[in-house]
Amino acid sequence: MPKKTQTETVTLTIDGKTVTVPKGTVAVDAAKTVGIDIPVFCYHEKLGPFGCCRMCLVEVEKMPKLATACTQAVGQDMVIKTDSPKAVKGRQGVLEFTLLNHPLDCPVCDKGGECPLQDNTFEHGPDLTRTEFTRYNRDKAVPLSPVVTIDRERCIACQRCTRYSDIVEQETALVMVNRGFQNRVQTFQDRPYDTRFSGNVVDICPVGALTNTTYRFKSRIWDLDNAETLCAHCGVNCNIVVGVRSNEFMRVQAKSGENSQANDAVDDGWICDKGRFGYGFVESSNRVLKCRNGKGDTLEANDALGQAATQLKKITDEHGPQSVGFIGSPYGTNEELYLYQKLFRQQLGTNNIDFKTYRQTPGLPVEHYDVGDIETSDMVLLIASDPTEEAPVLDLRIKKSVSFFDVKLAVLNDQKTDMDKPAASSLRYNVGSEAEVLSALIEALNDKPVRGLEKTAGIAPKQIKDLAATIQGSGKVCVIYNPAALTGSASDRILELLQTIGGLPDKQCGAIPVAPGTNAVGALDMGAHPNFYPGGLALSDSEKIKTLWGDEAPLQPGLSALEMIQKAASGELKGLVVFRANPVVDFPGGPTVAEALKKLDYLVVHDMLETETTQLANLVLASNGPGYDDGTTTNIGGRVQFRKRSLVREDHPPDWVLISRMIRALDPEAPSYKNSFGVTDEISQKVPGYEAINKNAIKGMGMPRKGSACSEVQGNGAPAAEKSENGALRLRVANYLFAHDKILDASSPLSHHFKSSTVYLNAEDAKALGIETGDEVKVVSGDAEVSAEAEVSDRCNPGAALVPRVSDEQGLMALVGDPDAAVWVQIKK
Amino acid sequence: MFAFSETSEKEIEKQLVKYPPERKKSAILALLRIAQQQNGYVSAEAMEEIGRRLDLSPAYVESVCSFYTMYYTRPVGKYVIMFCINVSCHLLDCDNLLEHTAKKLNIQVGETTADKMFTLLREECLAECSRAPVMRINNDYHVNLTPQKIDQILDSLK
Ligand code: SF4
Ligand code: SF4
Ligand code: FES
Repeated sequence: MPKKTQTETVTLTIDGKTVTVPKGTVAVDAAKTVGIDIPVFCYHEKLGPFGCCRMCLVEVEKMPKLATACTQAVGQDMVIKTDSPKAVKGRQGVLEFTLLNHPLDCPVCDKGGECPLQDNTFEHGPDLTRTEFTRYNRDKAVPLSPVVTIDRERCIACQRCTRYSDIVEQETALVMVNRGFQNRVQTFQDRPYDTRFSGNVVDICPVGALTNTTYRFKSRIWDLDNAETLCAHCGVNCNIVVGVRSNEFMRVQAKSGENSQANDAVDDGWICDKGRFGYGFVESSNRVLKCRNGKGDTLEANDALGQAATQLKKITDEHGPQSVGFIGSPYGTNEELYLYQKLFRQQLGTNNIDFKTYRQTPGLPVEHYDVGDIETSDMVLLIASDPTEEAPVLDLRIKKSVSFFDVKLAVLNDQKTDMDKPAASSLRYNVGSEAEVLSALIEALNDKPVRGLEKTAGIAPKQIKDLAATIQGSGKVCVIYNPAALTGSASDRILELLQTIGGLPDKQCGAIPVAPGTNAVGALDMGAHPNFYPGGLALSDSEKIKTLWGDEAPLQPGLSALEMIQKAASGELKGLVVFRANPVVDFPGGPTVAEALKKLDYLVVHDMLETETTQLANLVLASNGPGYDDGTTTNIGGRVQFRKRSLVREDHPPDWVLISRMIRALDPEAPSYKNSFGVTDEISQKVPGYEAINKNAIKGMGMPRKGSACSEVQGNGAPAAEKSENGALRLRVANYLFAHDKILDASSPLSHHFKSSTVYLNAEDAKALGIETGDEVKVVSGDAEVSAEAEVSDRCNPGAALVPRVSDEQGLMALVGDPDAAVWVQIKK
Repeated sequence: MFAFSETSEKEIEKQLVKYPPERKKSAILALLRIAQQQNGYVSAEAMEEIGRRLDLSPAYVESVCSFYTMYYTRPVGKYVIMFCINVSCHLLDCDNLLEHTAKKLNIQVGETTADKMFTLLREECLAECSRAPVMRINNDYHVNLTPQKIDQILDSLK
C-alpha cells in the first residue's frame, strides 16, 4: 500500500539501468519506472506485497537465493538482475509448477487474450510440458453468485481475490479453504458471494478462474471496441471500460491497471456491482426509441423538438414566463442541463428550473474537497450519509483511509449503516432531529454549553462534546454529507457547521456533499436551480448575471420542482418539461403528482426509458442517455470528467443536439455545436468555476472545477422538535443500491438483489404495537398506505419507522408530503 | 443452534485474556479447539459463533479451520485413527496397512463406522519416522505397525 508522503529516495541498478525511487518501493514497481516488466501473479499494487506465487523471481547481487521482486523493498546501491540465466531459469521453474494442473482451455477461456498467465507463459515459460501423469481435475463453471463464476481448475491460488475481499472490500467474504493442492476459493459454506463489490475480483484474477457470468462466451476480447468512460449510476462517477462488439454492449470493467490506468483521484481502480452489472438499461426493451405525441403517433426528432419549443413559447406569450417550467435530473450531463437552463432562461424568460426535491443551494463556505482528500484528512465526519447504498465506491475509499492512513472516522446518522464498523465513533440521533444535533455540535465547537438532547435527539450532551473535541483536535477535517437526507433547517445548519469548523484555529476543512444521482454537483453548477444562475450566481448578483446573460436575463425567483408541481395542480403552471426524471414515482406525493401533471396544458417528457411520467406526456422526446451520448459530469468531489459514448445511434440525435436545436428553433442566431465539447467550451466561458475545463484539460484523470463560495449562511438556532401524536412514528426513507426501478428492471443480472418492502422498527415501538419480525403490516399516512414486512431491529432509534426504497412498485413516496415537514406514519397489522 | 457450554465459556475467558482486545482474533485456534472439545467437531454454526466472538467473518473462521486437518468439520467417531502416509511410512508399506485397517473396520478412508466408534483418516507426517509405520489414535501413538498389531489394537478398543 503506497504511503501518504514519502520523500526519502534510494538509487539502485536494475538490469544495468539506474533507478531512483522513494524508499520502501518494491522491486517490481521500481523496475516499472524504467520500463522493465517483471512478471507477477499475486502482486497487485492496490493490495500490497504478499509473495505467494513466486512468479517475480529476480537475482539480487549479494543475496544467496533468488528473491521475489514483489516483496523485495529496494535498497541503496542494490543491483538487481531480472534477465540473468539464474533468474530466467527460476521463473521458468515456477511457471512449470503453476501450469501443472492448469487446463489447456485457452481457446474457450474468456480470459484468453488478456490473461497474465497466457502472457507470462509465452514470455517466460517453458514451451513444453513434462507432465506425464493425469492432471488434477476440478470443478468447472461453478457459480460463486449469479454474476460471478469460478472455474476451479484454472485457479492458480494467487489469492488476489481473497485478499481483495479482506483488504479492499473488507468483508473477508471470499477466502481460501483447505490447503496444498486442495485449496480452493470459497465463501462461507458456499453461500453466494454477493457483496456490493464482488465483480472487481473478475478484473484482478490473473487467470480465467473468475469470470463475469453475463459475459461468458459472449465475445473474444480482441473483437471488442473498448470505450473508456464513466459510470452513470451515482455521484462517484467511477471510470469504466465498456466493451462493445458491432455496436452491441458486451461488458463493463473497471478502468484499472489491468486494462489502462486507474483513476486514483476518483475510484482507485474499483467499481461497484451496480456499475458493472447494471448496464443493461442501454438495451432495455423499455427504451424510448422514437419521439411521439400524446396520441402515440411517432414523430421525427426535428419535428418533435420544434413542436416542443414553439408550443412552450406560445404558452409564455399567452400566460407569461412564469407559466412554464423545467424539471431536470441529477442524471443529466453538464451540457444537457446547461443547455436546458439556457433555453428556459434566455428563450422562455423564466427561472422555473430545478432538478431535486430536497433543499440545497450551490456553493460551500469551505473548500469542496476532492475524493482523494479523504485519504489525507485527519478526520472524516460523515453526516446523514450511507455511502454503501448511495455512492458505493466512496465506502471503499473511506474504509481504505481508516485502515491504511489512520484517518479517524466519526459517523453522525439517524440509521445504522455499514460505516459504523470502521468508525471510531458513531452517534445515532433520532429520525428528524438532525437540525438540532447539528446546532448542538456548532455550540459545542464554539465552546458553549450543550443543551440536553437525550429526549429529542437521543444523544447525550457529552457525546456531542466529545465529538466536538475530536474535531477541534484534528488538523484536516473532511465533512461528507447527504444533502437529500437532511430535513427542515438542517440544510442551513450543515453550512453553519462547515463555517464553524473552517473558522477554528489551525484548521483545514472541506466538504463533499453526496446527493443522489450521477451529476447532482454539476446540476447545481449548471444553474438547475430556481434562485441561482450557473456557477452559483445568486439572483441578487444582477450585475454579473447581466454581463454574462444579457440585460433580458430573468431575475425574478423561480419555482422549485415541488412548487412547480403545486402550481401545476392549481393551474397556474401551464407547460412543463421533465427531463430524465420520473416525478410520478420519485417525488413526494406519488399519485397526487400524477394528478397535478394531468392538469398541465402541455407536458413534455424527455427520457430514455418509459416511465409512469412518460405515460402522461403530451409529447415524449426520446433521449439516448448514458452509453450513447457524450458529455461531462461533475462528481461528488467536484471533478469534471468526460463520459464518452460507447454505443452509437445514428437514427436519433444526442440530447445536447436536440436541446440546442430547441434553442435554435426559438433563436436562429443561437450557436450550433460541432460536438459535445463545443457546449463544454461555452460552459467554460459562461459558468464561473469552469473556466479551465475543456476537452484536453479533463483528459485522463478529469479536473476539479472551482467550487463557488456559498451565499450567506443563515443561522437561526435550533428548531423546535415536532412531536408525535397518537403514537405515530416518524418516517425515514432510506436508500437501497439495488432498487428495482426502471434502470434495474426484472431482466437485470442484479435482480437477485431485489428486496421486498420492509419497515424497520425499534424493539420498543414494536413491542408497544404488538408487532414482531415477519409480520405483514401497512405503513399508513393520511390516505396513503404502503405494505411492508416488519423487521424489529436497532437500525434506528425508537420513535421512527425506517423504510428503504426497494422498488418503484412499492409506492413509498406516496407517504411523503412536504419533504420539509416531518412525515408521521401509523403501523397497522 | 450452537452454544458454548459453561465449561467452554470459562476456558474461552482464560484464552481471551492472553491477547490485547484489538488482537483478540489471535484466539481463533483456541476457540476452534474448545468448540471441538465440546461437540467433537466444529460445526458451521460454531464457526459463525466464533466469528461473532472475535469480530471475524465466518468465512475467515472456516478458512482457518479447514487449513488444519486436526479440526473436524463433520462428526467423528469415538476414536479417530490418523494414519501416516508420508515417505518413511510409505516405504514401509503403509498403503497396505491402511487398506487392511479400512477392511477391518468395513469403511472407506475418511469415513466413520456405523457404530460411531472409529473414524479413519490419512495424515501427512506424524513426526515419528524412526518407528514407522505409525498411526495415531486420539492422543496415543502406535508404532512399528503390522497387520497383527493393528488387529490387536482395534480389538482392544472395541
Ligand atoms: S480465483 Fe483467480 S484471483 Fe482468486 S486465487 Fe484463483 S487465480 Fe487468484
Ligand atoms: S460507485 Fe457509483 S459511479 Fe462507481 S460504479 Fe458504483 S454506481 Fe457507478
Ligand atoms: S508476484 Fe511476487 S510472489 Fe507473486
